[in-house]
Amino acid sequence: MDGGAKPRQYVTYAAEAQTVAAGRRAVVEIRFHVADGFHVNSHTPKSEMLIRTELTLEPADGVKAGVMEYPPGQPYAFSFDPADKLDVYAGDFTVKLPVVATAGEHAVAGSLRYQACDNASCYPPRTVPVKVLFTAK
Amino acid sequence: MRKALLVVLMATGLGLVVWSGVHNLRARRRAMQMQEETRVDLLPGAGDAAGSGSGAAGGTPTEKEAGDSPLKGKAAPEFSLEDLSGKKVSLSDYKGRPLVVNFWGTYCSPCKIEMPWLEEFEKKYAGSGFEVLGVTYDVEVGKDTIEKNVQRLGVTYPILMSTPKVEDAYLHGSDGVLPMSFYVDRAGKVVDVTAGLGSKDELEGMVKETIGAGAK
Repeated sequence: MDGGAKPRQYVTYAAEAQTVAAGRRAVVEIRFHVADGFHVNSHTPKSEMLIRTELTLEPADGVKAGVMEYPPGQPYAFSFDPADKLDVYAGDFTVKLPVVATAGEHAVAGSLRYQACDNASCYPPRTVPVKVLFTAK
Repeated sequence: MRKALLVVLMATGLGLVVWSGVHNLRARRRAMQMQEETRVDLLPGAGDAAGSGSGAAGGTPTEKEAGDSPLKGKAAPEFSLEDLSGKKVSLSDYKGRPLVVNFWGTYCSPCKIEMPWLEEFEKKYAGSGFEVLGVTYDVEVGKDTIEKNVQRLGVTYPILMSTPKVEDAYLHGSDGVLPMSFYVDRAGKVVDVTAGLGSKDELEGMVKETIGAGAK
């Protein structure tokens, strides 16, 4: 649609090195930021028609990953339809990944899919790449 | 002898401190490098919203995108799109009639507020030949889902399935913002473009202007 131009992103991810205990269940935190003035549907939106925020991670050597824990959304309603309550992420939100990892440095790759709106319009679903970095020792 | 041992111990301790610092520095640099690799830069339009809410001095991103539409003042690009029954509908089928070509999506809540208003005005101004053509952006959800949405909204004006070609012609540079509407006068000229939801009164005002424009 935009002749190959890079689409805008309304959610950013910044890799933060973390340290966890090796060989034991630990939790790695994956932090995202929604641009000011925008919101994205939570992982559990109120309607099946809405596109939920979803993180997908690839398998990584030495890392046994558990079920991801998404944060609860916050209520939001467009000013023009206050009765229609949405469940959204705005500002910062963190997804928690339970892991059991062997000793050493690990990088788990994946992507976050989301669909953003501002207070009067919506944008197509987008995907942002993710690389979760942590050291187990 | 004791002094020599003390010196060795101090040197070892110092060495450990230096090694630890270097090791941590390397780990931090690796993390920063990864951060750079995975960072996605916001473009100025979206970035301007940060810290200033959606009312930045230059207008919200949606206001800017609508104002910048290269189609304003130009002939509406011709298209031929399928409706939900598979029938081909062309812009030229409506030659001489004032139109709103409205791009919407099933995931777009503001769109679903606006569409019943468009339905209402389509009926109210039908005597002037006014018509609304809805173009569905997210065709990948399938006709059944689109049909379900349209019925729930009570919309009876034609709903067409978008294509990359029509998106390139109408939505180029808009970042896919929805709803996006093109007001086409009787002469086939795009007299106005809006991105995002405004008030019902504003919408009706633009419909009336479109009907009055390009009159022979």
